[in-house]
Amino acid sequence: MGLLDFFKRIEPDKKKSPLLHTAYDAFFTFAYSPDSTTQGGVHVRDGMDLKRTMIHVVLAMQLCYIFGTYNIGHQHFDAMGMYPGFLEGFHLKLSHGLIKLLPIFIWTHVVGLGIEFWFAYKKGHAVEEGFLVSGALIPLIMPPDIPIWILCVSVAFAVVIGKEAFGGTGMNIWNVALLCRVFVFFAYPTTISGDNVWVSGFADAAGTMSLNPGSVTDYSWWHTGLFNGLFEWMGLDTFKPGAVMDGYSGATPLALAYQGGWENVTNTFSQNQLWWGTIPGSIGETSKPLILLGAAFLLLTRIASWRIMFSMLLGAICMSMLLNLWGATPFMEVPWYFQFYLGSFFFAMAFMATDPVTAASTNTGKWVYGFLIGFIGMIVRVLNPAYPEGWMLAILFLNTFAALIDHYVLESNMKKRLASA
Amino acid sequence: MELVNIFIKSAFIENLALAYFLGMCSYLAVSKTVKTAFGLGLAVIFVLGITMPINWMIENYLLADTGPFGTDLTFLRLILFIAVIASMVQLVEMVIEKVSPPLYNSLGIFLPLITVNCAILGGSLFMVSKEYNLSESIAFGLGGGFGWFLAIIAIAAIREKIIYSDVPPALRGLGMAFILTGLMGMAFMSLMGIDPSAIK
Repeated sequence: MGLLDFFKRIEPDKKKSPLLHTAYDAFFTFAYSPDSTTQGGVHVRDGMDLKRTMIHVVLAMQLCYIFGTYNIGHQHFDAMGMYPGFLEGFHLKLSHGLIKLLPIFIWTHVVGLGIEFWFAYKKGHAVEEGFLVSGALIPLIMPPDIPIWILCVSVAFAVVIGKEAFGGTGMNIWNVALLCRVFVFFAYPTTISGDNVWVSGFADAAGTMSLNPGSVTDYSWWHTGLFNGLFEWMGLDTFKPGAVMDGYSGATPLALAYQGGWENVTNTFSQNQLWWGTIPGSIGETSKPLILLGAAFLLLTRIASWRIMFSMLLGAICMSMLLNLWGATPFMEVPWYFQFYLGSFFFAMAFMATDPVTAASTNTGKWVYGFLIGFIGMIVRVLNPAYPEGWMLAILFLNTFAALIDHYVLESNMKKRLASA
Repeated sequence: MELVNIFIKSAFIENLALAYFLGMCSYLAVSKTVKTAFGLGLAVIFVLGITMPINWMIENYLLADTGPFGTDLTFLRLILFIAVIASMVQLVEMVIEKVSPPLYNSLGIFLPLITVNCAILGGSLFMVSKEYNLSESIAFGLGGGFGWFLAIIAIAAIREKIIYSDVPPALRGLGMAFILTGLMGMAFMSLMGIDPSAIK
């Protein structure tokens, strides 16, 4: 019980330093259940409190984190034509991934949790757990090279406007992680769309991140100082300066599909690559099997709604079949089952659409909500030239209507009851 | 097909409330409950659908230089459009009162309020600048009205929901409505950029 003793020893005085105690309380309940009990009114007695629920979602994302870290490095070396095998240069890929991912992860939490702590202190209640999931989701949906200040601004926007203005955890109307991403998307579009942003670690002569011919590796002290020293000592390969391979474009499978349909995609990426996720993209979205494992975990623990997942799948299949029938552009002719090899459908389905706060809360409503996300998301993906992928915007769009869907489901239920009464 | 395109475009892609932020006064004032928002939304669809063809005829048969006066009278456009909208709203109000008193009662003050709803005038002016023909302008009017209707019942449902939220006191009511409108506009941007007529 060393940890518990340690916690008891460092507990700050609640009266003297309330802000410090709020922070302390957050980390204490992270490790232990508090021994304070509810006084007065009856509450649901279940081990599955809010924090446990959130932790389960975060657990379900861990596979994406591990693979994402590896894939950042893999794409980096792939652009130079080095270490094509899965395990070749594994340590280099992993350490490059860590160098890119850790600052994003840390700054997301510093800014997001900082704001949460401050609001909790101002309102005089314990820290709410809501940011655990948002904070874990945000790094997974960012490109690896996103400038840290843009990340911080967008996290601050999402937490303050998207959540605290509504009264904190459980009250928000729009998904916080998606608001964060959509803010970057509209305010700083060049950092999160186009072919240049999904592969990290290169810069041109002017020092801006890019993948144009002639761009060379842009290594920091962490690469050349820390890790190179470590790897030299261990007798392994080290980071060496290099340049982007001739003819390498960095285009994502979606961009390729938009230009020339499924054939254009398979000219560059194999089906295995697309399925297992060694493709350029946002950090956590690429590997379909690992996301599906996470989704299965969420379904087994009954945290995510199977209705939303299933109806979203159904909606997307319906729309892509319709588009197959229509078949006016090469992208529309991509067979419907291959649409799921592209982009971030499964990530959005498993972790974004199922957010119980922003989704419709009635069972009938969930069917409508999920189906329309699948349907509209596919429309935006295939028919809207302005956006590369549709799920982020489709989910935000349906978040807007979730309250309305619930309203009418409730009203029709009431009518039915009144009629039978 | 062309008419369907225009309808979809004006309802979702160039939504009068959330892309152009027109009709904000009644949009913010009457969106406290879904029931009243529903009534106002229907009234807006109705009035837009009626005034659009009338204004189109005025624009093309009266004000254009091919009209009876033989000169370009388009500088009178604004004042004539407003007069048409106001008189149409009055007419509609009288007809509804006569034909269907229950509907009249449920719409209440919102029907005359539509006169000053800038979405209506805005719709007519867009119709002129986009050079639609008569059937296109009817489709545009109905589509714009439908988009406005969707936007107002959606925000009303959200506002009904956040009554139970712990919103900071300074933001309660109108402040929150502004934030909601902004974020809804962001969500509606998902469909912006689709050009229905380009996809054949």
